[in-house]
Amino acid sequence: MFREVTLGQYYPVDSVIHRLDPRTKLAGTLVYLISMFLVNSFLGYFLGGLALFAMIRLSKVPFRFMTRGLRSIFFVLLLSVSFNLFLTPGETLIGIAFIRITKEGLRIALMMGVRLVLLVLGSSLMTLTTTPNQLTDGMEKAMSPLRKLNVPIHEIAMMMSIALRFIPILVEETDKIMKAQQARGADFESGSLITRARAMVPILVPLFISAFRRANDLAMAMEARCYHGGEGRTKMKPLRYRGTDRAAYIIMFAYLAICLGSRFVRL
Amino acid sequence: MGALKIIDVKHLAFDYTRRDEEGRVIETVRALSDLNVQIEEGQFVCVLGHNGSGKSTFAKLLNALNLPTEGTVLLSGMDTKEQKYIWEIRREAGMVFQNPDNQIIASVVEEDVGFGPENIGVPTKEIWERVERALDHVHMLPYRLRSPNRLSGGQKQRVAIAGTMAMLPKCIVLDEPTAMLDPSGRAEVIQTVLELNRQEGITIILITHYMEEAVDADRLIVMDDGRIVMDGPPKEIFSEPERLRKFRIDVPQAAELACRLRRKGVPLPEGILKREELAEALGRYLPSGKDSERGKDADMEDAPPPMHTRAEDPVMRVEQLSHVYQPGTAMESYALKDLSFEIQRGSLTALIGHTGSGKSTLAQHLNGLLSGTGGRLECHFRDAKEAPEFPADPEEEETNRNWLFSWLRLPWLHGKDGKKEKDAKQDVKKELRFKVGLVFQYPEYQLFEEDVLQDVMFGPKNQGFPMEEAEARAKAALRMVKLPESHWKRSPFELSGGQKRRAAIAGVLAMRPEVLILDEPTAGLDPAGRDELFETINDLHESEGMTIILISHSMEDVARYAEQVIVLDHGELRMYGTPEEVFSRYRELEKMGLSAPEMTYLAQRLEEKGARFDELPDTVDKMEEAILSILARTGVAAGGLPRPKDSTSHQESERQSIVSAGEKGEDRISVGQPHDSGDVVNDHHKEQREIASTGEEAEECSGK
Repeated sequence: MFREVTLGQYYPVDSVIHRLDPRTKLAGTLVYLISMFLVNSFLGYFLGGLALFAMIRLSKVPFRFMTRGLRSIFFVLLLSVSFNLFLTPGETLIGIAFIRITKEGLRIALMMGVRLVLLVLGSSLMTLTTTPNQLTDGMEKAMSPLRKLNVPIHEIAMMMSIALRFIPILVEETDKIMKAQQARGADFESGSLITRARAMVPILVPLFISAFRRANDLAMAMEARCYHGGEGRTKMKPLRYRGTDRAAYIIMFAYLAICLGSRFVRL
Repeated sequence: MGALKIIDVKHLAFDYTRRDEEGRVIETVRALSDLNVQIEEGQFVCVLGHNGSGKSTFAKLLNALNLPTEGTVLLSGMDTKEQKYIWEIRREAGMVFQNPDNQIIASVVEEDVGFGPENIGVPTKEIWERVERALDHVHMLPYRLRSPNRLSGGQKQRVAIAGTMAMLPKCIVLDEPTAMLDPSGRAEVIQTVLELNRQEGITIILITHYMEEAVDADRLIVMDDGRIVMDGPPKEIFSEPERLRKFRIDVPQAAELACRLRRKGVPLPEGILKREELAEALGRYLPSGKDSERGKDADMEDAPPPMHTRAEDPVMRVEQLSHVYQPGTAMESYALKDLSFEIQRGSLTALIGHTGSGKSTLAQHLNGLLSGTGGRLECHFRDAKEAPEFPADPEEEETNRNWLFSWLRLPWLHGKDGKKEKDAKQDVKKELRFKVGLVFQYPEYQLFEEDVLQDVMFGPKNQGFPMEEAEARAKAALRMVKLPESHWKRSPFELSGGQKRRAAIAGVLAMRPEVLILDEPTAGLDPAGRDELFETINDLHESEGMTIILISHSMEDVARYAEQVIVLDHGELRMYGTPEEVFSRYRELEKMGLSAPEMTYLAQRLEEKGARFDELPDTVDKMEEAILSILARTGVAAGGLPRPKDSTSHQESERQSIVSAGEKGEDRISVGQPHDSGDVVNDHHKEQREIASTGEEAEECSGK
């Protein structure tokens, strides 16, 4: 039941988006993130939403699957929206006692919420259509110039892809440990926030130990399969730009231009 | 010999060194000493030994994951100590580890298989060919685009094997590859390994605790205390059960039974390892009446399955318990469906079902970690004034799912009244958790305190007991699980696997539950550790009168220890009866992805050959007794077993005893058959015949 965490969960279908080069998708995600901070009007967000919707349709990933990723940021979303809603000074819309909702606050909070949702959906689209290994390859290749500056690009990329693979496993393990401690009478759900934080110790200690044990096992398994860093490695799926990638880059620039343009349109 | 030696180990020794923070050596532990062994190409070698005997260390030395402290390891003539050979050695000797999750690197099956070839610089096109071939070898080609997280344990291990096959190895070393799998997963993996050995000529070195897996090997190596203590073909090794038991190793059940029967004077050939062989050998002494058992089979299929769901003095009563996920949607699925049954106070009940049948979910309902979405649970605890009830909680679905939110539950998100009501509900549930102790699978993974005693006290402290009382209860629990007092003040992480498990079980026992649920308590333990833990559990059951619910995949253990068996399939209750009743319906069990104990299958084979059993015997003890009684009867009827000619007097006395035994029960002799008669037979045969070759060996069989 905790396999729901979408971040880093590949959705295996065959689509145009899935077949794109991971570098293209990385660039696309970056462009999308930038565009979300570029636009400053609801028109812009509407455009962004529309573009994302089109991409999701193209990717054949069910929309239900996409939104699952939102659950994990629900709290952050709630916090940022309410901060903006209540703490922005300006023209008062509703005011009860010391709580005031201003026109500006409402606008900013709404924009903030939409922006966050679109950002998360946009980046989940990448992780849902790209396997962690492809992602690693993409980042490794895209950042390879940095290797000249002695940045261990291959190692970083490897670490990230492994982290992504183990997230669902560790989340499930957390659930298991939590239940086991509850069976021994541990209570994580009552008392003050501090009591509850302290109640996490019996979960965190076994979880860390388990994570280290897994890391140890994995390192051994990788060594046994002749892993010795990026040197002399070949690729099963080497990266090669194709026609669709070129088209994707053109669409990206067009999209960015439109977003920039939307800044000057007044509604 | 002419065959090529792929592995040549000479005077091998290995030390583990522990260092402090500054890198000074604190202590060295000798894990292996003076090991000498040669393995020929194409052999299937099984390495047996208890936990801590040095098997895994040995395995890691074969492909240079560990380097020898003394001596040499040559793989295809390459010395593992030479740095220049290291990648070639690891390519030639692939390795598969115990935990399937911790050795899969990629998130797509085919990419994981390609990981090895990528590392050694195989050209892209060839990687694809190799991946395809490797996946085909393990029959996982249809799954090539799947995520490993969605595969079963057996499938994951097959992917791991494919990962080594893609490196085109000469030899694969498997370090307890089946320890964490269910029986069907185990069979898958062993089948695959056998095929690779027989068809591809890959040398296999299999480390295992399961003796059934060892019988197909060409050669067995038994390790103890860092040394090789026995080495030979399975028939030879398994003919010495008592010696093996000293090394904390089991014997396959068929071999043990054959040995015991031989001791009782049944002239069976040496070297019987499998039930088919034993059935064949025994078949010769059975009457060939084939008509009777046919009718019986037909009866069995027609009769309704056993459903003794009512108990005289139930400690727990489950009524129409259901758990639905996402009700009312297209995704609606039942984890549990309309379960109604009672658990007898003081009984030992086994809960069986294939992986995903709802066993663990049910266990969590029984102790209140989960609440059903329908039905209720009623408990009759000894000191409770009234029977508390736990009706279904429709909200449960929500709270189960959003654990993070409920942990972060802030008062202003919920109404104050809602919170109080919820807390009251929590209190009732907590009470249930204390009364029904639940020991999860691999419970040692929950240990977290600085020392064992503190850890065991965690439960009683949560119950609200003062320190002294909590300590007293913890100590009592530690005594119950027979963990030596010298270990109480040590860190739980310093203990051995079996000891950790005992400490973890004590952590639940310290809460003084009336019902104890154990989820696969012996998973990953060696045979002796398993038997010892079962003895402890049996003690709790017998001397403490504790009600025990045992979740297990091992039908042999269920047959041996359980009084009642509950069979779950897809969340539904399919059978509830004694082990004999349940296992006699092995055909239905097989349809549910389960199996019957080895002995039930043997009994079934014997029935095909004309034997008749009232109830199919499911343990070695019962089988031994049943076979002896059958042979005794046929002995009376048809002149009996072939007897030595010059022993009329012995034969007389034996016959008498057989007749008296035969009178006791028509078809089956009651438990505790007259022992003297057996002994007469034995003594007689010991003298007259070289059945088990020495008297000492004959004793061995009954050593248990």
